[in-house]
Amino acid sequence: MSIFTIPSSEVLIQGILSGILMGFVYALIAAGLSLIFGLMEIVNFAHGEFLMLSMYTTFWAYALFALDPLLSVPLSAGVLFLLGWLTYRGIIRRILGGPMLAQIFATFGLGIFLRAAAQFLWTPDFRQVSKAWVQGPVRILGVSVGLPQAVASVACLAAFGMLYWFITRTETGFALEATAQDRQAAALMGINTERMFALGWGIGAACVGVAGAFLANFFYVFPHVGSLFALIAYVTVALGGFGSIPGSLVAGVIIGVIEVLGGLLIAPAFKYVAVFVLYLVVVLVRPQGLFGKF
Amino acid sequence: MIRRRYFRWVQVSLMAVAAVLALATAPAAQTREVVIGVLYPMTGPVAQIGIDAVNVVKVALDIINNDVDINMPLGKGAGLPRLGGAKVRIVVVDHQGKPDLGLAEAERLITQEKVHALFGAYFSSVTNTASQVAERMGIPLLNADSSSPALTERGFKWFFRTSPHDGHFSLAMFDFMRDFEKKRGIKFKSVAILNEDTQFGADSAKVQDELAKKYGYEVVARIPFRTGTTSLDAEIGRLKTANADVLLPSLYTSDAILLTRTAKNLDYNPKAIIAQNAGYTDPKFVAEMGKEAEGAITRAPFALDLAAKKPLIPVINEMFKKLSGGRDISDVSARAFTGFITLVDAINRAGSTDPAAIQKALRETNLPADHLIMPWTGVRFDEKGQNAGVRAILQQLQGGAYHTIYPLELATREALYPIPAWSQRK
Amino acid sequence: MPPGEGVEVADAGAGVVAPPSARTGWGTIFLAILLVAALAFPWVFRLPYHRDLVIRVFLYAMLAQAWNILAGYCGQISLGHAVFFGTGAYTSAVLQTTWGWNPWLGLLAGVPVAVALSQVIGYPCFRLRGHYFAIATIAIGEIVQTLAINWEFIGGARGLTLPFQKDSLLAFQFHTSKYPYYYVALVLLVLCLLVSWWIERTRLGYYFRAIREDPEAAQSVGIPVARYKLIAMAISAAFVSAGGSFYAQYVLYLDPDSVLPLSLSILICLLAVVGGVGTLWGPLVGAALLIPLSEFTRIQFGGTGRAVDLLIYGGLLTTVAVFQPAGLVGLLRR
Repeated sequence: MSIFTIPSSEVLIQGILSGILMGFVYALIAAGLSLIFGLMEIVNFAHGEFLMLSMYTTFWAYALFALDPLLSVPLSAGVLFLLGWLTYRGIIRRILGGPMLAQIFATFGLGIFLRAAAQFLWTPDFRQVSKAWVQGPVRILGVSVGLPQAVASVACLAAFGMLYWFITRTETGFALEATAQDRQAAALMGINTERMFALGWGIGAACVGVAGAFLANFFYVFPHVGSLFALIAYVTVALGGFGSIPGSLVAGVIIGVIEVLGGLLIAPAFKYVAVFVLYLVVVLVRPQGLFGKF
Repeated sequence: MIRRRYFRWVQVSLMAVAAVLALATAPAAQTREVVIGVLYPMTGPVAQIGIDAVNVVKVALDIINNDVDINMPLGKGAGLPRLGGAKVRIVVVDHQGKPDLGLAEAERLITQEKVHALFGAYFSSVTNTASQVAERMGIPLLNADSSSPALTERGFKWFFRTSPHDGHFSLAMFDFMRDFEKKRGIKFKSVAILNEDTQFGADSAKVQDELAKKYGYEVVARIPFRTGTTSLDAEIGRLKTANADVLLPSLYTSDAILLTRTAKNLDYNPKAIIAQNAGYTDPKFVAEMGKEAEGAITRAPFALDLAAKKPLIPVINEMFKKLSGGRDISDVSARAFTGFITLVDAINRAGSTDPAAIQKALRETNLPADHLIMPWTGVRFDEKGQNAGVRAILQQLQGGAYHTIYPLELATREALYPIPAWSQRK
Repeated sequence: MPPGEGVEVADAGAGVVAPPSARTGWGTIFLAILLVAALAFPWVFRLPYHRDLVIRVFLYAMLAQAWNILAGYCGQISLGHAVFFGTGAYTSAVLQTTWGWNPWLGLLAGVPVAVALSQVIGYPCFRLRGHYFAIATIAIGEIVQTLAINWEFIGGARGLTLPFQKDSLLAFQFHTSKYPYYYVALVLLVLCLLVSWWIERTRLGYYFRAIREDPEAAQSVGIPVARYKLIAMAISAAFVSAGGSFYAQYVLYLDPDSVLPLSLSILICLLAVVGGVGTLWGPLVGAALLIPLSEFTRIQFGGTGRAVDLLIYGGLLTTVAVFQPAGLVGLLRR
């Protein structure tokens, strides 16, 4: 058995398509992370746990109130917005001026706490939404697409568009951008930077809330589910360039595709190696990532 | 009538004399309590398995310590009769799946909690380090659920394993394939091995690879992948390209759920799936994915549907459900139950908590098949400490529940073959 | 603090730099007492678990201190130090199981291998700054772990079991008494502390701190930044590798999940940060508090299956980060 195999073009096209669909979901998860970083240069190491909580929100809305995951998107986004806001008010605000490593560990500790809380409250069992409105595959021209995946990626793309519009076209978006550029100057211009930071955390978490709701439509939920996606999200943000929202989108799709191609052409065992090597190669050539400003 | 009553009187008085003698002679009769250290992963990705195992051990404790009338070793009466009715107490620890914690905990349990025996630890890696300590300190360790064949090849004197290992399990799969070919007059040409990349998957894949060659099946794909992956699209793409007759997956629950969903999305249709338990026997997988995974075969050391042949099973299962919040007893928990009963039975027969006496009693273990909830021929240990009475069975998901299909004398259903293609399902 | 000025690097340990060897008198006496206590410990506490706990505190304190040399003094935040730990563990284990090398030689042999690897990793990656560097080290850690999992020669995912031998100094096995393990770990820790102390006092330390505070400025005053970063990396990797070899001989079983995981890299970093990054005593304080704490909560609550131990642990980490962002050493100094 050779390591390299040549899949049929049908399998290849199928793989690339699956990769792109997954890539949009990765991108939206990463966008929240990137937004927060762009605003205050903090990497939220509890991001994966935020995702986990949004998936649980969706699951419980389904299990307790028979709310379809598609309907609970606003709910999940709202809950996560609140969580992000509270995280800023309760933790981040107090260590804004502290060393970077303290910030890492405040959020890292929060991540452990949230994961343990999920096990405490809901047991480590696997759960999933079994009877969603949208389920099963559709087959077009010999290529098949999971309907929930397709819905998720379209929705993530839409959410992405809205986020971009919000940041670049609205008054509040300008204020956010200004705060990100220069905190002191923004404050002098009469922008309440404190509110902007809290808002940034809220919106960053809400992005994850949206992604999590769609993800719960086709992915199982358990306390550790976040860590599977978080690592990819960090690499996505860094690959796209910290703080760059369009960078996250491009990097998310690239990573989704490379993951599948690496698995198909090299070996599934090395598909994440392919992603990490790609990241290393890109940042060694462009140390600020694809779209980073540095 | 009189005669029977007289006989009964003799019986009672003889028992009383025996009890007095036992009290007077057995030095350990003063022991009021037998302590057993129980090691499982209670946090982390496979925490649920550890929690299930500990719950089933609590069921066993209830049976042993209280007067629950069940026809099995130590089922009748309270406490251990040969130890003057001593009660068994457990000390449960979470090893978090870390081998160095297994080592530290084994030492702590032995020297500080003063346990008389150790029980655990699910992860083969942790069982490896904990059993080193047990071996060095001369305390028996009974393992009920680690499947790495290497564990019983180390020449240890204090290590006992009631569970079958990957060698036994995989052998049953290939025996089944051979027998099934004869029965149906078909021929499986090729197999594909899909395994998650921790020790469990790697061990299983290695054994399967060797066995496939021995049985003359071509291995057209051997695909290890990173456990807990976010997508299996590439893996399924490869499997479609390889197009093997039989898929042999070794996966934990999360990956098994993902495999089933992705196979449906990508229309992947192997003729047969024969899984190495783990995820496939998780009650959650059966409940959630049972319908979707129709036709999947898994090896299992345990089967709920053997209740007709094994009346103990429903009794234990009901007790378990009360503790587990409604989850059925399953593969790992059933093995843990059997292992724990075996260990306590040996301590009882030893009539003492002296480690050497327990070790000797374990060696002399000979539990008959009808005292077990497992479909084994019994529990008796060979010179390596491996249970020689193990027998693996195969079960198939039919109509959302598992039914035993192999070995044929235990089968409750005819095997479904080939698995209907996704396009032909409703 | 305006972004975009290498803030994340400069912030690594700002304000908590210990004035090198400023303490005399009481400090020396206190140190002497500490050392005597450390030497006498195994003669007072005779239970293997207590010794084991302190051995692990020493081991992790040493690892955290080694990480501190690179990250605390020199400002290069690595989240991939498990690579060097695994290198040390695997080098000595493979040399022993495959070619019958003595484990002591294996420990020594692991050091140059890890140092060489550190240079190969450091040379390209030191061009990256702040989070880009941190994520690159995570990526390398994951790559190395995946390679180890799929490399049959070193046991792959199934791991390596080291032969179980009679206790002897030569065989590096003393499981019954653990005294020698204890002293080996102590020696490694003291060695690492001495090297750190020496670094703090010499030109090396000033260069490191200059690089941490402002790499451009350091470059402009003629410090060969790239070379000194590589030196810091080499020293750090050497100690972590020795720690890995020690672990292999101590636990006698290793697999990629136990010696190469991201969680180990993060734990090493965590201990140093909680204790006080960029200080001589911070990593030791961090390890001496966090490891017994996590053990205590795990033993008390771990058996319940409700993750109460991690609830407490995670909550405490966040609390420390919020109220004592410069590390617990700051409390002692107050």
